[in-house]
Amino acid sequence: MSAFAGLMRTTKLPQWVGSLLPVFWAVIVGFAVCGAIAGTVGLSPLLMLTELIKGAVEGPQIFETVARAVPLVGMALAAAMPLRAGIVNLGTDGQLVLGGCVAAIIALYLPAPDGVRIVLALITGTLVGGAYAALAAAGEIYARVPLLVSTWLMSYPAKGLCGWLVHAPLADPLVAWPSTRRIPLGTRLEHLIPGTPINDGFLLIAFAAILIVFLDRRSSVGYELRLRGLNERFARYGGVAIDRQTFWLMFASGAMAGLIGAVLVLGSQYRFTDGALTAPQYTWSGTLAALLAGGEPLGAIIAAVLFAALQTGGFAMERSVEIPRVLTMVLESIVILFLAMRGAIWRRR
Amino acid sequence: MAFLEMIDIVKRFPGVLANDHVNLAVEQGEIHAVMGENGAGKSTLMAILYGLHAPDEGYIRLDGKTEIFRSPIDAIERGVGMVHQSFKLFESLTVWENIVYRREPRRGLFIDAKAAQRQVAELAARYGLPIDPIARVGTLPVGVRQRLEILKALYRHARILILDEPTAVLTPGEAVSLFEVIRNLAVNGCTVLLVTHKLNEVMAVSDRITVLRDGKVTDRLVTAETNPTEIVRAMTGRNVLLQVGKTARPAGEIRLEVKHLVVDGRNRRAVDDVSFALRSGEILGIAGVAGNGQSELVEAIVGLWPTDGGAILVDGKDVTALPIAGRRDAGMSYIAEDRSRTASAGTASAMDNLALGFHRRRPIAVHGLLNLREMRGWARTLIRKFDIRIAGETTPVGTLSGGNLQKIVIARELAHDAPVLIAEQPTRGVDVGAIEFIHAELVAERDRGHAILLVSAELSEIMALSDRIIVMFEGRIVASLTRAEADEATLGLYMAGGRKEAA
Amino acid sequence: MTSFFLSPAFFDQAVLGITPILLAALAGTLSERVGLFNIALEGQMLVGAFAAVAGSHFTGSLAGGVLMAVVASTLFSGLLAFGSAILRGNDIVIGISLNLLAAGLTSFLLRSLLGVSGTFSDSAMAGLTRLHIPGLADLPVIGRALGEQNPLVYLSWLLVAAIAIFLAYTPWGLRVRGIGEQADAAVTLGANAVRYRIAVTLAGGALCGLAGLQLSLGSLTLFSENMTAGRGWIAVAAVMLGRARPLPVAAACVLFGIADALGLKLQGEGLPNQITDSAPYVVTLIALVVAGLRQKIDGRKLSV
Repeated sequence: MSAFAGLMRTTKLPQWVGSLLPVFWAVIVGFAVCGAIAGTVGLSPLLMLTELIKGAVEGPQIFETVARAVPLVGMALAAAMPLRAGIVNLGTDGQLVLGGCVAAIIALYLPAPDGVRIVLALITGTLVGGAYAALAAAGEIYARVPLLVSTWLMSYPAKGLCGWLVHAPLADPLVAWPSTRRIPLGTRLEHLIPGTPINDGFLLIAFAAILIVFLDRRSSVGYELRLRGLNERFARYGGVAIDRQTFWLMFASGAMAGLIGAVLVLGSQYRFTDGALTAPQYTWSGTLAALLAGGEPLGAIIAAVLFAALQTGGFAMERSVEIPRVLTMVLESIVILFLAMRGAIWRRR
Repeated sequence: MAFLEMIDIVKRFPGVLANDHVNLAVEQGEIHAVMGENGAGKSTLMAILYGLHAPDEGYIRLDGKTEIFRSPIDAIERGVGMVHQSFKLFESLTVWENIVYRREPRRGLFIDAKAAQRQVAELAARYGLPIDPIARVGTLPVGVRQRLEILKALYRHARILILDEPTAVLTPGEAVSLFEVIRNLAVNGCTVLLVTHKLNEVMAVSDRITVLRDGKVTDRLVTAETNPTEIVRAMTGRNVLLQVGKTARPAGEIRLEVKHLVVDGRNRRAVDDVSFALRSGEILGIAGVAGNGQSELVEAIVGLWPTDGGAILVDGKDVTALPIAGRRDAGMSYIAEDRSRTASAGTASAMDNLALGFHRRRPIAVHGLLNLREMRGWARTLIRKFDIRIAGETTPVGTLSGGNLQKIVIARELAHDAPVLIAEQPTRGVDVGAIEFIHAELVAERDRGHAILLVSAELSEIMALSDRIIVMFEGRIVASLTRAEADEATLGLYMAGGRKEAA
Repeated sequence: MTSFFLSPAFFDQAVLGITPILLAALAGTLSERVGLFNIALEGQMLVGAFAAVAGSHFTGSLAGGVLMAVVASTLFSGLLAFGSAILRGNDIVIGISLNLLAAGLTSFLLRSLLGVSGTFSDSAMAGLTRLHIPGLADLPVIGRALGEQNPLVYLSWLLVAAIAIFLAYTPWGLRVRGIGEQADAAVTLGANAVRYRIAVTLAGGALCGLAGLQLSLGSLTLFSENMTAGRGWIAVAAVMLGRARPLPVAAACVLFGIADALGLKLQGEGLPNQITDSAPYVVTLIALVVAGLRQKIDGRKLSV
């Protein structure tokens, strides 16, 4: 079905190259279009390219890229899991925010020892994110409200609710921007490599990623998901319980997003701040990475890491040559758009 | 020079030579039958005539002029009309909207609906095809829809009308009145091309016959001067029709029981109080014109469609409330009618297709994890056992021919070794060799003591395989017969809704 | 409370809230009718909203803004037409990427062309002006809502009628309906489905351009990042609820517009804006659930 999915299952080199070719062209087109856009508004396309690459991998920047890749890979997996079965979760933004907000509340207010608090904060954040996504799934199962629309729309009230919490009842009066209080030292995720922004969250997400890739390839559940993605009616005919699968799949997807929210709050932001989780657009890039890979998890992970590098490069580019880094997001969407148009991914059924 | 000539037509599809230098000559006002088995190339030839495919070689000469039809628009323009086997109608629109589509009578910027309805009514009256212009197509029975398709072509001034397997959806009685219409059209100067594989129809209505086999013309016959044996020989290269070797065998205990089953379809009651019992060691055939509730009945039994009353029992156990998986576990397997949409995933490998249903059990799965080596071995075994022509177990099945894909489906479903097998149109659209193979497998399955529910729109298939036959009409069972009691005439009467008393 | 609901400001707010959603929903309705699922309404609106402000700012005239909004959004919808109608790519995936592209592109251009991030406003910039329709405007309570709107508001309702008549009574409308219902049947009768799909997608782009124009120059004169805030998705929901029939779709839009006004009103009453801002989404979701429970939504599964 997708370039990547086919690629991942075979080992022969020619097929490898053959299926990567459309992606290669799409990236070229993406850069060309972005270069042209930059050029028309009076910015240098060449400078854009060199600064992007330098900013992504040069020296300590590589740690920035890794740190950025952690949430991005997570969000890519959150989007990829349902996509593998041919359904969409466009509401990972809301699930991310809920997870982060709840984790912050537990970490700040639960009367328990530090170690227990941090574990419970992670677990609750994960569960709440999952439950919210599962609610959308229930809407599709029982009331036929399409996930495509409901997941997106459900993000707004979730963000609104969390925003209100930190504006009023839980607000830290000492900071100007609406936030919770700062999470105490003992309840934070520790730095994995001192002096870098990489923390224990890396291990959590790496473990989840390996688990998901393994289950996708080697488990009966993964097989059912994959087959449903290829032909849902066939999967149903063969006895796959479609509704139950939708429910737990959405739960898993939302849980992943919730976990990322918790990890970001406990590991790098140290407080839940209105808008801070969604501002870096992890959801956006994660969804695009998952689409690029056709829902295949390993492909989504690779794409997410590449996108993380691109974005770190984007920051550097913005600092040094004042080309707005949002251009990297334009680049990502053009790559997917180009591939989808050509039918190289997500062929119409 | 004939009125319509197709000259030296060659059409290749990947891996198949569908038409191999085919020549066809038809006179004006003639009823010309194009005959052949499935896959003989008759549909391709007609698609070329209607502009749906471009020929790789050869050309069409119509009324002395050489024509190139790039699309159906060109063909319609030159007076060629086609009634497809699966109707091409807009169900939510009215009859007149379907007929005048793209040739609407106008008043200014708007459609002149009054004029359109009048024209349709006039046209219907002229050709003796009564129809209500303002009815919604979705509410019409199949026979009337076919009438509508013919009217669509006539509204476009068709001089040549192609009818592709027109009786597949009709009762024998309706078929007879269709032949009346066809003859009437021919008398009025319309040329009719009748695509079919049914001998009796050809003998009853056609003037001349062109027979295709494996993409080549094998014979051209004048109906009045030929006989069914000669046609069969030209179609199959053999002297007799297929026979299934089958010995009488007593039926065993009840395996599947359906009690007072009620199923609501999309806009109407599809299955209405249906009860029957299926015993081990027998093949129970369900006959009926397509669309009389057979699909809904089968889908309800296997769990793909919800029931609205009644009960389904497998080996005495009520499975009505169980999901598909539960019913399969209770001992049901199912060869679905639509093999590419329901019974396989075209982009998935043969290995994946063959493992469905076995993917949670030993030896393929252990503790929820797949054993890929077992899965591969399993696929190879089935491919060998059923002689499936495929490059390898990792090849996507979407590339296979109809017959080979059907073998994948049958291999998997038979491998379940379930006591109840539901076989829905198991040989539709597969080649002759595969039909024989599939029939033999079904009989062998019966002889092993399994119970088989066979649904088929082909009376010949029902007659060849069944031990008992029930006939469905408008969602009800109108007759239940032993094989000995059933002959084509009796079944035909029941299929048209005739009751036992009337027989 | 009662006095508030019956206030002229409430009805005015409701009409203002309806207009952009209605215009986008009409675009979605047309698309649905030719068998394309258009979920790029959000992105097209956003492009329209940005182009309206940029056009108005750089040309110094309202006409420039209107023209730019329609042209930019139509061009942008050309990507959907090309990918979905011509190349037959997956319309949902193309739609998702177009929405993200629109968000990225507008915020890039906001920074590089207009030199700000977040919100751009220019007090000198011309917005749409309200008309005064004698008679209508003099009605009590609803006078302002009905009689003193900008021309685009009236245009949107005229378009509802025009599209309803187009679909029901013209030859081209019949062809559109046929293509949407059963494209291969239409093709065998010689209808050029691809051409109709392109035309309808581009027309939808223009409608979304107007929707964006109403957002950025309709009552305020500003552009802010992601200012469509899900309205395109609400329009998609309206198309589903109205099952792509113009009048029921318009009715759904009215419901959502009222929810929007209600939210604003409650905010005025002192409720926190983070909560009241959610009102339109919650109402939309509830409407979808209610309709779904009553089996009003198409049974079709919307998956990629």
